[in-house]
Amino acid sequence: MRRIASRTVYTVIVLVLSSIAVFYAIRLSGGDALAARLPASATAEQREAFRELIGLNDAIYVQYFDYVGRLVTGDLGNSLTNNASISAMLVEHGRNSLILGVASFFLVFAIGVPLGILASVRRNTWTDGGIMSFSVAAMAVPNFWLALLGVWLFASTLRLLPSAGCCSPRQLVLPAVVLAMEGIALTVRMTRSAMLENLSQDFVRTLRAGGLSELRIVGKHVFRNALVPVISLAGLRIGQIVGYALVVETIFGWPGLGQVLVNAVLRRDYPVAQFFSLVLITVVVLSNWLADIGYTLANPRLRRT
Amino acid sequence: MPEVASDSTAISAAGAGPILSMRGLRTSVSTRDGAVDVVRGVSLDLYPNEVLCLVGESGCGKTITALSIMRLLPTPPVRVRDGQILFRDRDLLGLSDREMRKVRSEEISMIFQDPLTSLDPVFSIGSVMTEVIKTHRDVSRSVAHQMSVDILDAVGIPDPHRRINSYPHELSGGMRQRVMIGMALVLDPEILVADEPTTALDVTVQAQILEQLLEEQRERQMSMLLITHDLAIVASVADRVAVMYAGEIVEEAPVHELFEDPKHPYTQGLLRALPHASIKRDVLVPIPGRVPPPQMMPPGCYFAPRCPDAIELCWDGHPEHFDRDGRTYRCFNSQPFHQR
Repeated sequence: MRRIASRTVYTVIVLVLSSIAVFYAIRLSGGDALAARLPASATAEQREAFRELIGLNDAIYVQYFDYVGRLVTGDLGNSLTNNASISAMLVEHGRNSLILGVASFFLVFAIGVPLGILASVRRNTWTDGGIMSFSVAAMAVPNFWLALLGVWLFASTLRLLPSAGCCSPRQLVLPAVVLAMEGIALTVRMTRSAMLENLSQDFVRTLRAGGLSELRIVGKHVFRNALVPVISLAGLRIGQIVGYALVVETIFGWPGLGQVLVNAVLRRDYPVAQFFSLVLITVVVLSNWLADIGYTLANPRLRRT
Repeated sequence: MPEVASDSTAISAAGAGPILSMRGLRTSVSTRDGAVDVVRGVSLDLYPNEVLCLVGESGCGKTITALSIMRLLPTPPVRVRDGQILFRDRDLLGLSDREMRKVRSEEISMIFQDPLTSLDPVFSIGSVMTEVIKTHRDVSRSVAHQMSVDILDAVGIPDPHRRINSYPHELSGGMRQRVMIGMALVLDPEILVADEPTTALDVTVQAQILEQLLEEQRERQMSMLLITHDLAIVASVADRVAVMYAGEIVEEAPVHELFEDPKHPYTQGLLRALPHASIKRDVLVPIPGRVPPPQMMPPGCYFAPRCPDAIELCWDGHPEHFDRDGRTYRCFNSQPFHQR
């Protein structure tokens, strides 16, 4: 319990610090925030007046506290470029991202863990070799390249799946698989090595001496022990998915948070960019926090300390 | 320090045959340069209701012998190459995996050296014990639970109702070994194989665990094969002793005969290397040299290179088991034992 409490405190600290970092980074990145908002014919005075109006001339820390103040009252503000409500954007694009992210996360474990177990049980056979080669390849190929290959093969050549768009199940397949691929590869390796490590532990011999069947020993005891490190890295897999979503959503025209964030940064749309950066950071930090709790629950040695 | 247990009732009643009988057991390890024997034709009998100690230096093949009986060798690379292990007229080596699983812990149980790593860390001790019971007996969960509580109580775990829900890391080393003993005995096996059960424990706890093991052995009238390198333990618990060197049994004797009149020079060396309360000695005498690696065994007696009494013959011929004057040992040139 104490461990969970201390992780929670760290989580809050990380969130506060990263909100400050995001806020400064976006404002220090140069570019004109108003280019897209005011017509090109606007005079220098008009631009200056508008900057003053929306508070861009205040010191950055003043702007920060203003922003946080409004954030905690639930006022997310509007886009600088088209005045769209950020909360409406959050609901719409957040839903799309959630669909894609959850699908990928599911694939990472639904494919990665069984493949890892299979490789460990059939270690040093062709099955193992094939799975491990696949995993090396999946880690080595960058996701944007994999995305293009996927589009070429399944959309243009075989015409099995749509190349882009949102949000039918058929449209979901390619982006979800591409997004999950590296996570699958890493999970396969993690699972395999954790299984092998635990298979050679002394307790396995004790269970054999107890007359348990090999299926029970491997399927229950070794698997549960191997799950501890795999679960503990589940949070990292979420972080990976969130990060890669920026690329994959853009390539597949999937209107999620990643796509919104990329566009906002390109247009220096401060309120949108900083809010959605914060959203993504929060997702990553919270998933790490959840993984920590999961790790604590999966590992009795940490449960009561 | 070691006082030979005076009440040890040598071998069991005349006429009773052995309960477990190893015949010419050969176990080998495959290496890059081919298979190398680490157990070289061990023949050994375990009689009902006796404590047989298997002693020898580390690496002499004691543990491999024990694991061969249980068929728990890490195969590959280690496997039984030849021989028989007869238990109730069945050769354990010929059983199917399924039949062997039934033998394990129901008829022959084994406990191991390090009780910390030998218990599954992510399950409570009760859940593993219940699982073992339910694997062998068609009983309900609550009956299995009660059996577990009872056996934990019997092997000296205080407050077993609460302790049964503990995880291994929550118990001390001694408690963990008691749990191991309980788990091994819960199905009332006829044979317990104990591989250095106290080596990883504090000295004070060692005596308690040994006492517990002996108590269970007497109460259940089971046979125990105790593997140890510690002659003090041998002196206090054994009925009979088999001394192992380089994968072979070199001497076999009832415990008091072995301590009073060791025949094989290796046994004599072991006794000289032992602190002794009744004989004042300035120095302990180590056995010179090391056990040769298994692929470089000398052609004659394996102990010849380290033996103070080796003669020409010892370098040429390999001594078989001799039965002389009621004693069994492998030596061409046994000399009377002197404390030096």
